[in-house]
Amino acid sequence: MKDMHSSHLGKEIRVAWAIAVKDMRTYYTQPPSIMFGILFPFTLFLAFTIGRNLPLAEQIPILISQTLFFASSSIGPVVIPLERADQTFDRFLTSPVSLLSILMGKTLGGITYGVLISVIPVLVGIIVFGSQIANLAALIACFALSSLAFSALGILFASIPGQTVGQVMMPLNFVRIPLLFISGVFTPIGQLPAWMQAVSFLSPLTHTVELASYASGGDTFFGPILNIIVLGAYAAAFVFVSIRFNIMNQRKE
Amino acid sequence: MSSEIAIEVSNLTKYYDDLLAVDHINFEVKKGEIFGFLGPNGAGKTTTIRMLTGISIPTEGTATIMGYDIQRRSVSAKEQMGIVPDVSNVYKDLSAWDNLVFTGKLYDMPKAFRESRAEELLRMFGLYERRREKVKGFSRGMKRRICIAMALMNRSRILFLDEPTSGLDVQSVLIIRDLIRKLNQQGLTIFLTTHNIEEASHMCDRVAIINHGKIATIDTPEKLKRTFESLQSVEVAFESTPQNALKELGELPQVSEAVKEGDKFRLFTRSPSSVLASTWNYAQSNNLKLITVNTVGPSLEDVFVKLTGIRPATAEGEPERLDHGIAQGTTGREEQQ
Repeated sequence: MKDMHSSHLGKEIRVAWAIAVKDMRTYYTQPPSIMFGILFPFTLFLAFTIGRNLPLAEQIPILISQTLFFASSSIGPVVIPLERADQTFDRFLTSPVSLLSILMGKTLGGITYGVLISVIPVLVGIIVFGSQIANLAALIACFALSSLAFSALGILFASIPGQTVGQVMMPLNFVRIPLLFISGVFTPIGQLPAWMQAVSFLSPLTHTVELASYASGGDTFFGPILNIIVLGAYAAAFVFVSIRFNIMNQRKE
Repeated sequence: MSSEIAIEVSNLTKYYDDLLAVDHINFEVKKGEIFGFLGPNGAGKTTTIRMLTGISIPTEGTATIMGYDIQRRSVSAKEQMGIVPDVSNVYKDLSAWDNLVFTGKLYDMPKAFRESRAEELLRMFGLYERRREKVKGFSRGMKRRICIAMALMNRSRILFLDEPTSGLDVQSVLIIRDLIRKLNQQGLTIFLTTHNIEEASHMCDRVAIINHGKIATIDTPEKLKRTFESLQSVEVAFESTPQNALKELGELPQVSEAVKEGDKFRLFTRSPSSVLASTWNYAQSNNLKLITVNTVGPSLEDVFVKLTGIRPATAEGEPERLDHGIAQGTTGREEQQ
């Protein structure tokens, strides 16, 4: 049998996972991770739900989408600036592993965080409100692709040179918060004017909301296949751009 | 490339926008050597080390590590090296043990090997008993030792050390210097950047002096000292010092420059014997009692000052630039080259 430690791909995966586990142990309980990844989506959800006479059970897919969106995209922007400030990010750049594996390790940290936090509303929906999972495959696709795409979005913004969380979070929130208003979170896509529907198609969050809704037995405006394709395309694009940005940073270093 | 070469640098250049930080430098480091890379703050030392270790991409030029191009075969090149940066970049929220084990994972070392190596290194650095403690509670010297241990996890063949003893207490400095020597005796090639001239003089087989991004000179410390005969000096001290002594000593025949160092005067000359005679005459004619007379060969510090125009004594903080080679508290004629 071929020695596992001589496999190049195996090595890259093991190193990426080691980076992710280290980030989980070190940064998941850091105050910025809790604030931007947990408190932020739950607070926003409650702020826009309370007083609108909306049945909470029907809002569970929206909460799942928001937690996936905020939690997954918050880890990279917390971890990477702090590691830049401590110069520990340089350790990855000097280790014998590709930049792709380093960024995939960072992305995995965001994916795991997003999934762990977003499982909470799923369980609350099932246990408290008696919600049913109508399509488990759609829910898994929603979790997997959304957490990947949003975590990669966070890594992309974390590629902005900066040594404080605020330097990365501010521009990220400048993008994240407006996306809430065009992604079917507050108004279903079908009720939007045609031009707004076109705009909402471009938002990755739209496709998370749609898949989460579809998984709980609701309708999707663009269809689950298109939702999956768009989320997959965004994930690949975000990873690609992150790599380019990091190479640009190394040229400027 | 010769198999005796550990690091080969060719036309390595780095621009930061319009600022030329490293200017087409060329040098080689032989296997098993301790190679010192000296220069004042901002000379290009850290930029060079960052390019050699793959953190920064050069604007131009190439560097090979054990024959592997750091850009084209970066993974193979990085497998050969361990890096201790100027800041102890340890994971403060992890324990000493976890820091080393995580480093082993970055190098994809098998579990049993990385754990035995971590134990070996922690024992070597006297930190095994504190292996479970988070590093954020460690002293600066202990963090530095952890940082060096992390650089040695993968049994690297080249160790890059960027200002390894800067800002440490005397005990930690001595421990680290002793360790560097031992590692070198075991065959490790050491690339050491420092602005501590004495450290370089005592430890390095060869030194390169970099200034304004250019290599000013490369040679062994002793050869560099011999090259600069004009940096020989006579050190004198009088029982009581007249007010104009510095100026008058600087005007003695054969004295190219006079510097006041504490209660002593240092008279630079190509001819120490002539200066000894004229200093004796000066003391006689001014009724001064000589209490110290020494002839001093050029130190590496003198060579550094000559080449960079910066006094390393001030280089720990802000470098003090000398105007035309004459520092404050010095006097004398322009030195003939």
